[in-house]
Amino acid sequence: MADSKDFVAGVDSNAKKAPRRIVFITRRTSAQVKAETEDQLQTFPEVLFRAAVAIMTLAVVLVWIALMFNAPLEGIADPSHTPNPAKAPWYFLGLQEMLHYFPPVVAGVVVPGLVVMALIVIPYFKVNIEAEGLFTKDPQKRLRIFYIVAGGLSLFLLFPKLDPRAEEHVYVALVPTLIIAGLMILASRSSPQSSSAFRRYLAARPLSYWVMTWFLFELVVLTAVGTFFRGPGWSWVWPWQGY
Amino acid sequence: MADEIKKTDDVSRRQFFTKLGLGSLSIAAVGTAAFSYQFLEPNVLYEPSPVVNAGKPDRYPLGSVTIDVNSGIYIIHSEEGYFSLSAICTHLGCMTAWKPELNQIACPCHGSKFEQSGKKIEGPAPKPLPWKRVWINDDGDLLVDRSTDVPPLARDSFVRV
Amino acid sequence: MAKTVGRSFDQYFDDLRGTRVWRSIFRSGTGSSTLKRALAIQQNVFLHLFSTKVRTRVLSFSATWYLGTLTLGTFFILVGTGIPLMFYYHPSVPQAYADTKDLQFVVSSGLFLRNLHRWSAHAMVFLVFAHMFKVFYRGAYRTPREFNWVIGIVLLLITLLLSYTGYLLPWDQLAYWAITVGSNIASAVPVIGDKIHFLLLGGNAVNANALLRFYVLHCMILPLAAMFFVAIHFWRIRKDGGLYAHSSEPAVVRASASMTTEVAPSGKGAR
Repeated sequence: MADSKDFVAGVDSNAKKAPRRIVFITRRTSAQVKAETEDQLQTFPEVLFRAAVAIMTLAVVLVWIALMFNAPLEGIADPSHTPNPAKAPWYFLGLQEMLHYFPPVVAGVVVPGLVVMALIVIPYFKVNIEAEGLFTKDPQKRLRIFYIVAGGLSLFLLFPKLDPRAEEHVYVALVPTLIIAGLMILASRSSPQSSSAFRRYLAARPLSYWVMTWFLFELVVLTAVGTFFRGPGWSWVWPWQGY
Repeated sequence: MADEIKKTDDVSRRQFFTKLGLGSLSIAAVGTAAFSYQFLEPNVLYEPSPVVNAGKPDRYPLGSVTIDVNSGIYIIHSEEGYFSLSAICTHLGCMTAWKPELNQIACPCHGSKFEQSGKKIEGPAPKPLPWKRVWINDDGDLLVDRSTDVPPLARDSFVRV
Repeated sequence: MAKTVGRSFDQYFDDLRGTRVWRSIFRSGTGSSTLKRALAIQQNVFLHLFSTKVRTRVLSFSATWYLGTLTLGTFFILVGTGIPLMFYYHPSVPQAYADTKDLQFVVSSGLFLRNLHRWSAHAMVFLVFAHMFKVFYRGAYRTPREFNWVIGIVLLLITLLLSYTGYLLPWDQLAYWAITVGSNIASAVPVIGDKIHFLLLGGNAVNANALLRFYVLHCMILPLAAMFFVAIHFWRIRKDGGLYAHSSEPAVVRASASMTTEVAPSGKGAR
């Protein structure tokens, strides 16, 4: 309890003396310690046994798959003969699909680089910490920004070479974008008081959720297309056609 | 009272599952060990065949002791016929050499010396130089099987042409 | 008869556990007391990375789907199958291909080991992505766990590199051209692209040097890096207060729920 009239504080900037820390505590502003009241369990056996069971189940599944299916092995490497199509491992096929539309600098360096950097900085953005529904605040302004961004991205994917007459359209990336944009529009028209649980759920999603879900959706679709829908010369095939 | 007797007679559920678990684990461990051992023993070797073709017998005149350093054997033509000794010293595996002036096979590493019959004369070698199986094949070539030992000085350990 | 044998076996085992040799190796011993269980973690050089107690909520399956644990499990399987595979593999051209064929047809259990290694590798890449998305969607990357998220992204990149370097080792058409395409993408980096390409391959094309470099990366450098960062990742989980324990409900719902102030228990009884 400090009566400020009776109190004098001095500031000493003598570098040779070790600084002293002085805490001023006024009423009802002390740090409140929230006592830990949560239940706790012993790591051994609770955590370890659960982990052991999970890993054993995984091992059984993988062993069964290994016994049923053989790893692929083609002919010996032949630098003079390129197979058609020459596909990367499945987790890079999304990238390879993008290489079909964009130059290697963009699809191979810029985009993956930006993706990795974006992933790394996710936790450091305030927008991800607040986690309010995207359209719960400033709905009009945010809707306008949304239309500009989504519209611009969709137009770019429709005409990637910036030429309205060009034949090339990045439908594989456009379709997921439109679907997510559609859901976002639905979210903007929903509120926590909406009738269906789904619309209430959408209304509560923050921006970080929409961006990540768009990324996840694109990743899955691009990888699926690269894996199942691309044949010789990277031409479009239907999965049941075989090549 | 009756419950206590029951407890000491029956195996409890916990004990049963412990035994079951440990039993399965040991079976799995034994199986893994067996498969691991099988895995580690190679089924195919990329090493040269132990059978050596020494060429036609008339390359080896009577009384000659010829060493083939690449395959590590001596071809010796004595009165009883042709026979083959291992040229690898039985002490620690060095390549021996035939010394005609001493009528001995000598090992340079630790001084072991052997007679023409493979019998050890002196030195730290624990065993005589083994005799290897020889025979003539259909083309008339002299063949030596380095993986098969034959009794020294026995009648069938020589091959006569 | 079996019961008496069983009992004497247990007795024998108990006697063994009382010997000086046994007690010099296993100091804490087993037991179901809290102390013994805590010591089992704390006295173990591998396990004392973990804390002896965890909050109950952390163990719920629906929270994490145990994806992090499963990713670690695939890593163990990969090391456990990868090391035996090294016994029959020469990282030279064209021996590597012959060795891969040998592993499939000649070596006992070779086909099984190779298959398990391949499918576990695909599983690990899938699981590590799934783990990342699950952590994001339940908000477990937020303060104070930001840096652990970054460590996780590093581990994601290491996993992808491990898979990529391993892909070349069979030296078949699939391997050769996948890596050729991939390394040509690397040369698309402006300014230093060609330098990166040259360093990565140890040459201008995917040849014997590239195979050896990828082998060293795959078997030594990247696994060590992975273990290093996994250790930090686990340590950070502990230091950040354990796994993030709130349910995967959206934060906005939680925010309104936590508007009611929580009052600390009054006065005495502070821990």
